Amino acid sequence: MKNTTRLLDVLDRVETGPIEEETQWDMMTVPLAVAALQAEFDVNFKPLGETIVPADDALADRVYAAGLALAERLGAFCISTSRRVRFARDEILTALAAAPIEVTVGEGHDRHTERKRRIEDPACMTMKGGGVGTPVPEEIYLAVHQSYAQEPLVDAMINCTLERVYGRELRSRSPWEVLAGWHEAELTRAACRRAGRPGLGLGCVENAVSDVAELSATSYGGFSPNDWHHIALISEFKTDYMALTKLAHLIRTGSIIHAFYNPIYGGSVGGAEGMAIAIVGGCILLQMLYMTNTHSVSPAHPFYDNDTTPEIIRAISVGHQALARNSRLLTDLVITPVAGPGTATLLYECAALAITAAASGTCALIGPRSAAGTHSGHVSGLEARFTAEVGRAAAGISRKEADALVRWLVAKYQPELTARPAGKHFTEVYDLTTLRPTAGWMEVYEGVKAELRGMGLKV
Amino acid sequence: MTQAETDLEAYRNILQQAIEDGAPAAGVQMAQEALSAGLSPLAFFRGVIEPVLTDIGERFSRLEIFLPELMRAGMVVKAIQAQVLEPAIRAAGGQNFSEGTVVIGTAQGDIHDIGKNMVALMLQVNGFRVVDLGTNINPKAFIEAARRENADIIAMSSLLTPSMPYIRDTVQLAEGLGLRGRFLLIAGGAPVTRAWAESIGLDGFGEDAVEAVEVCRRLMANRRAAPTHPSL
Repeated sequence: MKNTTRLLDVLDRVETGPIEEETQWDMMTVPLAVAALQAEFDVNFKPLGETIVPADDALADRVYAAGLALAERLGAFCISTSRRVRFARDEILTALAAAPIEVTVGEGHDRHTERKRRIEDPACMTMKGGGVGTPVPEEIYLAVHQSYAQEPLVDAMINCTLERVYGRELRSRSPWEVLAGWHEAELTRAACRRAGRPGLGLGCVENAVSDVAELSATSYGGFSPNDWHHIALISEFKTDYMALTKLAHLIRTGSIIHAFYNPIYGGSVGGAEGMAIAIVGGCILLQMLYMTNTHSVSPAHPFYDNDTTPEIIRAISVGHQALARNSRLLTDLVITPVAGPGTATLLYECAALAITAAASGTCALIGPRSAAGTHSGHVSGLEARFTAEVGRAAAGISRKEADALVRWLVAKYQPELTARPAGKHFTEVYDLTTLRPTAGWMEVYEGVKAELRGMGLKV
Repeated sequence: MTQAETDLEAYRNILQQAIEDGAPAAGVQMAQEALSAGLSPLAFFRGVIEPVLTDIGERFSRLEIFLPELMRAGMVVKAIQAQVLEPAIRAAGGQNFSEGTVVIGTAQGDIHDIGKNMVALMLQVNGFRVVDLGTNINPKAFIEAARRENADIIAMSSLLTPSMPYIRDTVQLAEGLGLRGRFLLIAGGAPVTRAWAESIGLDGFGEDAVEAVEVCRRLMANRRAAPTHPSL
């Protein structure tokens, strides 16, 4: 549970912990720790051809034990002070025992409660729909967000970033970032009002690359404490004064904290097994450092920037199963497909992760961050509707059933990934006057749903 | 297979093992023995180090190995170069055979560095001298470091759209200072596109760590062939 006492404790440790070179941390400390834990806890996956969504509780428990040990042995690294932030095991266990198992975001009739889920849980996941930081042109920013807010199955919204502000180029840690933060608050709230859902909880401040936009836009007239505010744990397991400044502000304003950690496949944590351990360790460290309400991971592929390759899906599944079985932590998953709007590939990718998450005990889906969030304006509300529908249809299915569906889906989209099909711009897949998907985009959507129904998923 | 080819293969096997074990001393000892047996530093580099590192680079591009393995390769090869090859070349009055010097860093306003680290390691294992400035590097610091290190290439990384203007600032600063012909400027990172790189006048763009090496090699080859301002 977050409070000033714990905040002061973190800030003290940031300034008194053991000093270490950042390169030593990146190149030696983290890789060696993860590799040693993988061996110590016998974390080894079967060949990918056999399973993508494993149903192995013992494996999940070993991954949890390894991740817990990682959080204890490694701690985090503060870039600003070149110090490690360490936590004793009893401190970690005490904090984990007090972590919230639900959180309500938004206000009034539009508020929504995200709750802890277990593996193969019949309860539906929360759907936090939106483009997750994908740059969007200023002139269509409101329309893009309305396309998400108007979707009934979207329980909360996650904002895109502005490509420009007042027609000017955005620069981090500059007055433009402050203006972008305010613009984001004004336009996304307006989108919610237009959609008739004024109190929808907003994932913010997406334009806060540094701390200045968070500090300015989370104030009177801007984002509310009942929105869900982002803080990053930088890869791998690193924080800095900018993140901690956001933290101090969010704790003193009583805001809901949504912290995220995005390990890189093939990076310092190694392959899929190391990534699963890092997901667990990272979520525990998010709780220890930031006292976060919700813990989000979106592992990144080093070449495609996505999290839908089968090896990453398996790491996510095992990591989330480990957390679902052994902790109270609320786990969110950002869906980052390679493909963009208008393509069946995008929907196959979204379905694979939604089904994986449903069976693995994930509490909320975020996104999708279509076209890996790298193509301006390549996002639309329809993929969030589709993801929510698949997530709901998959609630309660077994891991074995999920595995069969996910392997079928991966076989359909994997050959397309190298081509990186970015799909179409929002203005090409939505009618800007009615804010409805075009007939062509609807046809693709209905076609993929029919295929999934053919596979037995009641979507 | 000739005796010389057999010897080279044996050296390559020892180097591969030293990398797998993360044992620079074993690599250094093997290199010393090879040079004592009459192999020239250049022949050793071309016949032993280059093929092994090429293989490692290709395996990384297929994600059969990961950053920790790349790090071990970098560590072992760096030790061999520093302790065996460079002293031998200096003693013979020759020049080192680096592919070129790259000053690398993450652009101002951005503190992501794993992707940048991957590029740095891939360049290093492919024979470039790499000076890693770290993260949140402002344009002036890039230029100053490139001058100080007598760099050939300035490589900038950005994972955040609002840090991209600082890459353009670096290009403009280099132009303003009359250094555009002296340094080649390249960039990469999730939001950086080829079209954007071209639009701001960068000399090269890399989609990922593998392409970054290809681009640097191509730019250096162009520079050697015609030391004028190259194109993308």
